[in-house]
Amino acid sequence: MRLWISLAAAAALVAAAGWVDASSRPPRAGELDELLYYPSGTFVRQAALGYETAAADLAWLRGVQYYGEHRLTDQRFDRIDHVMRIVGELDPKFEEPYVFGSFVLAQEMKQPDRGVALIRSGLEKNPQSWRLAFETGFLHYVCRHDYVAAAHYFMLAAHAPGHPEYVDRFAAFASQKAGQDELAVLLWRRVLATGNKYMQDVARREIERLGETL
Amino acid sequence: MTPIVAIARNTVREAVRERIALVAVAFGAALVAASQVLSPLALGVGPKIVTDFGLAGSSLLATLLAITLGSTLLHKELERRTVYAIMAKPIRRAEFLLGKFGGLWATSAGLLLLMSLMVMALVGLGYREAPWVLTGSILLTLIELGIVTAFVVFYSSFTTPGLTAFFAAASVLAGHFADDLLYFGKQGGSRALEIATTVVYWVLPHLTLFNARGLVSHGEPVPPERILFAASYGILYLGALLVAACAIWDRRELR
Repeated sequence: MRLWISLAAAAALVAAAGWVDASSRPPRAGELDELLYYPSGTFVRQAALGYETAAADLAWLRGVQYYGEHRLTDQRFDRIDHVMRIVGELDPKFEEPYVFGSFVLAQEMKQPDRGVALIRSGLEKNPQSWRLAFETGFLHYVCRHDYVAAAHYFMLAAHAPGHPEYVDRFAAFASQKAGQDELAVLLWRRVLATGNKYMQDVARREIERLGETL
Repeated sequence: MTPIVAIARNTVREAVRERIALVAVAFGAALVAASQVLSPLALGVGPKIVTDFGLAGSSLLATLLAITLGSTLLHKELERRTVYAIMAKPIRRAEFLLGKFGGLWATSAGLLLLMSLMVMALVGLGYREAPWVLTGSILLTLIELGIVTAFVVFYSSFTTPGLTAFFAAASVLAGHFADDLLYFGKQGGSRALEIATTVVYWVLPHLTLFNARGLVSHGEPVPPERILFAASYGILYLGALLVAACAIWDRRELR
């Protein structure tokens, strides 16, 4: 009986500590800007003591949370490239942060140059990655409307090992300068099929805008 | 049965009595919970995150276990005076120490393997991905664990349990900074500093050699030559530590 009383007392104290934290912590205003104080990737890499891929995952989850919070509020994602670059420093082979971060910058923030700069930093670390080359081409095509650069990156992707069959098709279409809207729709359809849920939302919107039915 | 094996078996039995299996149970529960909670938030990279956290968590827990269990290893024998009964038998001091090392390594390695099997099962059954890719990284962590265990035995051969734990943890920490130390020494601009950091670099264990988690979490197997190289380095390094530990333990006055 005394054991149960002690356990109940311990549980009550933990609950009280939680209540104190919840009621006394300073208001959350401004907390969304905390990524401003996120340390550099090089520093985190050294502090991770051999567990840098797990640290990269934590930074990735924080970046996704940051995106989700701002998506519901002010639609500003200024720090997204900062946190995604940190993920890249910690785990250079992790491609998702470059793809997602550059997509957000180019498509959601309408800053394609920043988006291309982010994904190119990933491509420099992974020159054999068909996916990063393809996504760079995608950004050039859809966001910057630089069809020559897009064709170059699609061709680069088509020469990289392990690329899926559709990469060859896009490389061929882009070099033949096929109808720009048709190719854009095809590219967005690919995002709809392979992107994460946030990217799929944007793809649906863009396909509708381009006058296509889903 | 050789005296070394007998002492090692006894050490494992003692560790099991300390209920270390609870660590594996807690790890398994945390792993499954993390996979359920984090996967939906990870935007499609759930398997990678579970692999990373699983491998990092199992390595960290096994290292902590080796340090905490090992730091009291010799001290308990001295305190309970059981060491005198053992030494009265035809067993050399070095054999006693090597048996303790073998038992501690087997215990922490067993725990690491158990936790790694849980990660592999989750990756294979839960995410339908090939879990065999992880074996290279697990093997390297086992060797790293051997070095950590050798450090624990080395320090416990001449100092107290508290200091053993402190020095062993510091050695693991320094082992992960060894490459950075060499780099900073070269950037310092002083020849004396460069020589000093180079000497310290070669004395410290190069634990980054045993970290292939970044490779396997992206589905790339560890090349066999890397495992062979790391195993050669690891066995030589832990051999050096054990030779030094045996020499100290041999000369230690047992009171």
